[in-house]
Amino acid sequence: MLYMLLVAGAIACAIQAVRAKRLFLSALWLAGLSALTAVILYAVGAREVAVIELSVGAGLVTVLFVFAIGVAGEEALHARAIVPKPLAWALIIASSALLGWMFLPSLNGEAPSAESTFASALWQERGLDVLVQIVLIFAGVLGVLGLLAEARAPAENRAMAKAPLTPAEAGAAPSPSPVRATPEEVHA
Amino acid sequence: MTVTTPQIVLVGVLALLGVGLYGLLVIRNLIQIVVALQVAAKAAILALVVAGELSGQINLGQSLAATVIVADTIVAVVGLALAVQVRKRLGTLDVEALSTLKG
Amino acid sequence: MAAWLMALVIGLPWLGAACVWLAGGRGPRAQHTLAVGFSVAAGLASLGLLPFVSSQAAVRIPIGGVFGDLTLVPDGLGVFLAVVAAVIGSLAVLFSVDYMQGEAQLGRYYALVLIFIGAMAGLVLSGSLLFVFLFWEVTALCSYALISFHNDDPKAVAGGIKALIITGLGGVGLLAGALIVYANLGSYEIGDLLKKAPALPPAALGVIAFGFLAAAAAKSAQAPFQTWLPDAMEAPTPVSALIHAATMVNAGVYLLARFYPAFAPVPGWAAAVTIVGLLSALLAACMALVADDLKRVLAYSTVSQLGYMVYAIGVGGVFASQFHLLSHSVFKALLFLGAGAVIHAVGTRDMRRMGGLGRQMPFVRNVFIAGALALAGLPIFNGFWSKELILEAGLAPACCWRGLADGPGWAYAGMLAGAGLTALYTYRMVWMVFYGEAAARHPAPHGHDAPSAMRAALLPLALGALTTWLLAGPFGLMLESSLPYHALHAESTIDVVVQVVETPATWLALAVIAAGLAAWRWRIKNREAAARWAARFRGFARAAANGFGFEWINRRVVGLTQAAASALQTLQTGHLNWNMAGIVGGLVVVLAILAWGA
Repeated sequence: MLYMLLVAGAIACAIQAVRAKRLFLSALWLAGLSALTAVILYAVGAREVAVIELSVGAGLVTVLFVFAIGVAGEEALHARAIVPKPLAWALIIASSALLGWMFLPSLNGEAPSAESTFASALWQERGLDVLVQIVLIFAGVLGVLGLLAEARAPAENRAMAKAPLTPAEAGAAPSPSPVRATPEEVHA
Repeated sequence: MTVTTPQIVLVGVLALLGVGLYGLLVIRNLIQIVVALQVAAKAAILALVVAGELSGQINLGQSLAATVIVADTIVAVVGLALAVQVRKRLGTLDVEALSTLKG
Repeated sequence: MAAWLMALVIGLPWLGAACVWLAGGRGPRAQHTLAVGFSVAAGLASLGLLPFVSSQAAVRIPIGGVFGDLTLVPDGLGVFLAVVAAVIGSLAVLFSVDYMQGEAQLGRYYALVLIFIGAMAGLVLSGSLLFVFLFWEVTALCSYALISFHNDDPKAVAGGIKALIITGLGGVGLLAGALIVYANLGSYEIGDLLKKAPALPPAALGVIAFGFLAAAAAKSAQAPFQTWLPDAMEAPTPVSALIHAATMVNAGVYLLARFYPAFAPVPGWAAAVTIVGLLSALLAACMALVADDLKRVLAYSTVSQLGYMVYAIGVGGVFASQFHLLSHSVFKALLFLGAGAVIHAVGTRDMRRMGGLGRQMPFVRNVFIAGALALAGLPIFNGFWSKELILEAGLAPACCWRGLADGPGWAYAGMLAGAGLTALYTYRMVWMVFYGEAAARHPAPHGHDAPSAMRAALLPLALGALTTWLLAGPFGLMLESSLPYHALHAESTIDVVVQVVETPATWLALAVIAAGLAAWRWRIKNREAAARWAARFRGFARAAANGFGFEWINRRVVGLTQAAASALQTLQTGHLNWNMAGIVGGLVVVLAILAWGA
């Protein structure tokens, strides 16, 4: 019963996020979806992952969205889609139905308890994964800095550099001083 | 027939995936496309954890789910940075307008 | 020992390619020396393989998973073709030392030639269908790169692309056949296919057989895929000698010969092979008769002679076809290299501007005539013996002729006529180049005789044209002992000689050849009467000059493809949403296939 409520709530949040007419609302619904997903994860038993999801998904990503929307500005969202809606519906229903038909009937039974703790599994067995994740985070930060750093708009640069960084990223981020890149030569 | 917890969660996974992909198909604003991507990513996280539980490799499933969280957070971050830059340079976030702009 | 030698035959040229490339900074002399050194070493290694011929795989490297094992089998067919590739390859490289004197980008040239030689050796020695395909495509790639070697010449580039596309499309047939074999037998081994072919479902075997036939026809420039070979003559002449006479085009004939026991029972296959050979032989001979470009005549001649070999396989004479392959490699390489010497001396390929060169270039004239006599099929030269064996094989087909009620009699008549045509166009070519006077208004400047490196390459080939037929006995024995599925019966050289000399078919063939030679002789003596005769055939001559419509077909295919591509361009909308729709659509397709297969 609890699960059904949670899942239904998550689906409702997702639908609203996709359908929202204002970007800000879309970001908020996404935050709600992340929170509900974290609760579901906790209820299923993945406690550590739930914590990560809550802090990163509901926290960091939401703040980033709000920030980006603030900088980029709200734009009137057009109603007319490029891909015709019936085609989109057909594709989605076809893929979901096929996936469901392949997997749903065969699921039953609960799982046995774990042999080792999550922490040891993460750091020892999947140590390489963690290393790759660190590299990925670093690359992401460099990418963002490269994308956002430019000499043309110093005010926005300083504002961007002071973006609140949660503990997850603080370790890998460089110092807050903005990187003054070479003047951009390509114009729109 | 009895509906077990994994089945409920998997229905949720399928629905979230469908909503996310649908969003990718019909949304025209770049930032909202990133939102749709995130929705689909939630589906992946849930699916990995449930699959881990069902196959008995709980910790493997959770480790992979953690990896997925990190990975598509990075995707969202870089995507948002791209969107901000696109808005600043090209003046619009609309996919249709962007596909005909040069520069 | 065999394992080491095979590794050397394949590996030395590749190592040489890397060395020549790296030695670019040290000047052309170093590159020439390295190239000749490595190719001669590979040739010696291949000759060293001859005592070790066996039907067992000497090298087996498990690649693992779905790729099977890389096996190298030193059986008679493979070693023979490896010897041809490496030895004639080294002679072509030796010839290049003088021909490519002063040319730029020697590193690229020699590296590609050496890679090609190694890949060809790998193709024929490989015992796994997947690696046959791999080496097949490597040779296609090297051939493209070498044809377009002068990549600032649009004709050369066009010729290279045409060759690549046509042989590549044929290669799809080979890959499809290999995959079907794997799906049905679980292994890529050639020995497995030959052993278990009768157990395959007939539909699958039919697809494999005709797929291989398509691949072989495309690679060996047989009808209807022959249009790429004449256009490939833009390549430097040693490349033409190597690729289009001595090695690459032999790959198709090799494929047919190798898999003949597996495919012969397939209904219609042997007939199709025979018809392909017959058509190629006759059409190409006609086209050679009206061509004015020296290398084009030789290109059409190659197509025609390969048609003889393919025809021989179709009627069951596998030994005859391989024996002719040996003779042809030698005399065709000789002719191409001789033509290269002529072209290098006078600077043009147009035969109408040549004439009377025999006085300026006696050495080249002599070796060229040796090659020409072998091509025409005159006695003593190796072409005579092998061509007669093919014609006799056609009279007594060993195998399966369902569907053609009166047997191959008409095919035999066609091949016989082809022999006469061969003699005719050969004499025409020799006469126009070395005797008589230039027919065009601007005769080419008369040139010098061949320099020493060219002579060093030409002389062994000329001697070979005189003597390789003596190897008939040992060659047959080598094939018989190491090809267990082919059921060949070898005879000693003396027996072969006696058999050929005594058969009435031989005398008939000699008469036809003599008639061909006499026809040109008559034309020299009675020029006006010959011109009147030729006027009657003008329509036919024009059709022959246009490739009998095959070039038109090529152009139409290209036009259709480009039109389809332009039409499909509307799918490239550039919209993110449509791209996503494509991705989700693909996902649906994959899920559907998985769900259906579950």
